[in-house]
Amino acid sequence: MGILLSKVFQAVFGSKEVRILILGLDNAGKTTILLRLQNEAEEDIQTIPTIGFNVETLQYKNIKFQVWDLGGQTSIRPYWRCYYPNTDAIIFVVDSADTERLGIAKQELAAMLEEEELKDAILLVFANKQDQPGSLKATQVSEALGLPELRSRQWTIQEASAVKGKGLFEGFDWLVTCIKGGNA
Amino acid sequence: MFSLLAGLWRYLTSKTQVNVLILGLDDAGKTTLLEQMKGIFKKVPGIPPAKIPPTIGLNVAKMDIGGVSVTFWDVGGQVRLRALWERYYADAHALICVMDSADAARFEEAQLAFHAVREQAELHALPLLLLANKQDVAGACSGGDIAAQFDAHKVMGVPFRVHAVSALSGEGVNEGISWLIAKAREKTQGMT
Repeated sequence: MGILLSKVFQAVFGSKEVRILILGLDNAGKTTILLRLQNEAEEDIQTIPTIGFNVETLQYKNIKFQVWDLGGQTSIRPYWRCYYPNTDAIIFVVDSADTERLGIAKQELAAMLEEEELKDAILLVFANKQDQPGSLKATQVSEALGLPELRSRQWTIQEASAVKGKGLFEGFDWLVTCIKGGNA
Repeated sequence: MFSLLAGLWRYLTSKTQVNVLILGLDDAGKTTLLEQMKGIFKKVPGIPPAKIPPTIGLNVAKMDIGGVSVTFWDVGGQVRLRALWERYYADAHALICVMDSADAARFEEAQLAFHAVREQAELHALPLLLLANKQDVAGACSGGDIAAQFDAHKVMGVPFRVHAVSALSGEGVNEGISWLIAKAREKTQGMT
């Protein structure tokens, strides 16, 4: 999985620097997705909750990933704006089994999408944790997040299980195709 | 006085804004059309057709066509996604239905979807362009055949045209789209 993804990114972007924000509530699976990108091992991935100053930056080839937990941490949010300019894409990760907090996830996503400097960023939603019992399907998650109300943003949703490594490749493939556009 | 003049200036220089909804079954060629239009009207290269993934969600493109600022919404066409279509009806000013003219096996499904869309109250008054796409494929039905197949004569009371195109090669796209945008413009200006 890791090998495949790294090859896709390497082949596709060449030397262009790409900025991607990975956002979502805590425990959505963001870190696991990042580890899937880096880690070439196939076994299940264990992570611990990301704590402390939760702005992670990860340079992967020529792609800069910014990873944030939404929900809480309002005091450091003003600093996030430093990272907004030139963002190509937002990856929003949702725990599809955590139906109680989908409402909060929706609000947090809506607030981010209102940012003027993010208006041209395309949106990839991972309906993550499909391995969990009772997890919602992509169409239900997109309804719950209000994606059909978006009018000026390109978006897609992908069912995924980051711990099993499923669905991620498809999502990233969409991302690179759309960012790259016709600039082959 | 100044505010009057400023208002007049804004009025004269403001561009008509038009939202166009692109519908059709999966694999009809909606996104290929969208990417082709980026090349024709924006002069920027679109995604190469072979690399276009199925749309699960929404593609958006904004471009100027004949002095009108147009936003195209290209919504996924798979069965499970068609519930999404209606979410865009209320904000649309014109409608494009894309048909795969070479896929006779799905004509019935396409026809049902087309007439289901036509029955929507919000869409009754909208200019409508039916694109008989994939004319580049050998054995594709002509525009006339598609019109007959889809009972085009039953569409009344709105500007309506059936147009044969190849989204892949771009043939016919400019003419069809320019016609639709002109009609949509007349309509939105008629309202103000």
